Amino acid sequence: MTAARFDELIHPSTRLSLVGLLAAADWAEFAFLRDQLALSYSALSKQLSTLEDAGYVVIDRPLRDHRRRVRARLTAAGVTAFNGHVAALRAIVESADAEQARLSNA
Amino acid sequence: MRATPQEARAALDTIDRGRLRVIDEIDLPRWYWLGLAVGWIALGLVTDLGHAWISAAATLLFGAVNAAVAPRAASGRHRTRRLSVSAELAGRHVYPLVIASLVALAALTIAGGFAASADGARDPATIASLFVAVLLIFGGPQVLAAVRRRVVRTATR
Repeated sequence: MTAARFDELIHPSTRLSLVGLLAAADWAEFAFLRDQLALSYSALSKQLSTLEDAGYVVIDRPLRDHRRRVRARLTAAGVTAFNGHVAALRAIVESADAEQARLSNA
Repeated sequence: MRATPQEARAALDTIDRGRLRVIDEIDLPRWYWLGLAVGWIALGLVTDLGHAWISAAATLLFGAVNAAVAPRAASGRHRTRRLSVSAELAGRHVYPLVIASLVALAALTIAGGFAASADGARDPATIASLFVAVLLIFGGPQVLAAVRRRVVRTATR
């Protein structure tokens, strides 16, 4: 079970979507991420660079079909941070639901 | 904790939407179904030539080629070259399901061949393999669609 830890770096909407996609995949190509998130090349590069600098993402550049492709994948630290963030979000929701239930019963 | 409950709910919804988009990618490459169908028909044609050793060699070749490509192509995680769906999300049942389907279709082909032969058909194996090839091309993607629905149910539980 992952410890809940709210992660400010992951939480902004675009980055959360990006990390959410990568968490469900072993790796994803830059073009796939760009299409799914409807981001420009430069905007996606910026987000990936931020995550890479934090050690959450690794960018691979394998050569295939004589073309260089760009793939991103979450590192172990990225997976841990994402799972911790999801746990923190769930804790917030559960806490609010419990409070709501308590007020309803009062 | 630095998000309101509403923000936390919205964030969890965002994460779920991303997961559903990746689940949409669980499938087999189109070329795998087409390759199987073409190979199946070729095996039927070869069988109807009536040379046992050629049929045996062709069957072994078909099995060897499938064994070489299936572990990756039939995992359901590499529909395209743009993404590799995580094993945890796709589950480990797609490959065994595909192989079990192929075994069932092989049995169906044999049964169909005997039925066509009993009916006096000139090329019973070809007829049976054509029927199964059509099943592969149209039924294969339906099986994977059912797998995706099952993964969605599991992921959103």
